[in-house]
Amino acid sequence: MWLRFGAIVLCILAVGAAAWSFVPWLDIQRWAAGEQRMFQNAMAGALRGIQAGDPLAVWTLCSATAAYGFFHALGPGHGKVLIGGAALASGATLKRLGILTVLSSLAQAATAICLVGGLYFLVQMRSDDLADITETWLAPASYAAIAGIGAVLIFRGARSWYKLGQAKQIAQGCCGHAHGPSVNDVTTLATARDSVALIASIAMRPCTGALFVLVIAARFDAFAVGCLAVITMGLGTAAFNLTVATSGVAARRLAGLGAHNQESMQAVSATLHVTGGVLIIFISLGMLLPYVR
Amino acid sequence: MPRNFWNLFVFVMCLGGSAGAHPHVFVDARTGFIFDADGRLQALRISWTYDEFTTLILFESLNLDQDGDGQLNDADRAAVIKAETNWEPEYKGDVYLEVAAKDYSLGRPEAGAVTLANNQVEVSFTLPLSQPVRIDDTPAFLRLYDPTFYYAYTILPATEPVALPKGCQAQIVPFEPDAVESALQENLAALGREEAPAQENVGRLFSDEVRLTCG
Repeated sequence: MWLRFGAIVLCILAVGAAAWSFVPWLDIQRWAAGEQRMFQNAMAGALRGIQAGDPLAVWTLCSATAAYGFFHALGPGHGKVLIGGAALASGATLKRLGILTVLSSLAQAATAICLVGGLYFLVQMRSDDLADITETWLAPASYAAIAGIGAVLIFRGARSWYKLGQAKQIAQGCCGHAHGPSVNDVTTLATARDSVALIASIAMRPCTGALFVLVIAARFDAFAVGCLAVITMGLGTAAFNLTVATSGVAARRLAGLGAHNQESMQAVSATLHVTGGVLIIFISLGMLLPYVR
Repeated sequence: MPRNFWNLFVFVMCLGGSAGAHPHVFVDARTGFIFDADGRLQALRISWTYDEFTTLILFESLNLDQDGDGQLNDADRAAVIKAETNWEPEYKGDVYLEVAAKDYSLGRPEAGAVTLANNQVEVSFTLPLSQPVRIDDTPAFLRLYDPTFYYAYTILPATEPVALPKGCQAQIVPFEPDAVESALQENLAALGREEAPAQENVGRLFSDEVRLTCG
């Protein structure tokens, strides 16, 4: 029975892949890089304004960083992979996923603030060393953590498949009572533990752009302004990632359309867990690969 | 697993890396070709103009402009030249020269210079060829790219062009997504054949290039 839902999921993936291949990604990326460059220059101008004591420069800086965060997110980044996959797999509502998306972006900003607050002020570490730490240690650690979450999703989906199969055998051998596991058995992101794992794996790696804004602001004796700017940058990133979460939830709803009873709902959920997990593992290992070679 | 599968796998992964990564540093590059008295290509002149944000980062990381007048003094310029052109031997300066369809080895940067204009730092230097080489009607290609795409280079026409010998032509060929897609398809098709190069560098497909021909 759940083979049928597997087929539905495969159909959705195939339609998604076909739509994906029609999108001119290279053109979009080039356009996004151009926009990013523009806002990066606006950030530089605003930072120089702050150094010169221009009171309006704070607003210019915050709007520039928000826009930078949005356009910088327009690439296949690590946060989107996880949020998209989790949105597909979990039973979480769009509202809950939206909150998680915003929180993970804000936590990412907080990591940047802690890193600069700790290492720049206490150890007087310079921006290039901070960027090195991020790229050499934090980035692969974050990819590995995300791949781990993908593995957990696959495990949960597979376990649910197994239980469903067992429940069926019992039902056939017994008296027709359904002893299937409850739907809750394969719900992900329902617990605080899941949510914290998701947020932590994304927040582990701050954006180097945020680090640089903070360090430059600190040099101009305006660290507080830098913190504010990095928080708006996180909100800009969250704004883009929300579209990814929405697509993931929409794809899940589509996959669940054919399911009418509890058992088929659960089969769909199990299949989506495995699909989301495979997507997450494949892409995050792809990002991890350059570090292990 | 057939070798071709791994070729394809690595190829797709590299593609993801170079096409998917986020550029943080934007560089407007300008190039020049320097020929010797015998009409052989002897050296390249390269200049990198960094975006305003990267310029601020450079000021911070090298602790430039300590007097805060917004200008670079001699010590600042020396610090930038040291940091930017005295690079590790394994780094190739993101400069790649192809002569007769082969990578041509380049020496160490010389004659570094630094200017600051419009809030942007410009670093320029001369990169000698390991040996002077005669360029004929087979085009030589100069490409500037970072394989990890952390630096995004755009090649612009030189502000003070270096004169080329009679009969030589240098033409900037900007990166075109359409051209990349068709080149990728050709490469993917070629991967099925045994003679397909396994070490095909995907990064260069995404770079602007300067096409140099003589005669």
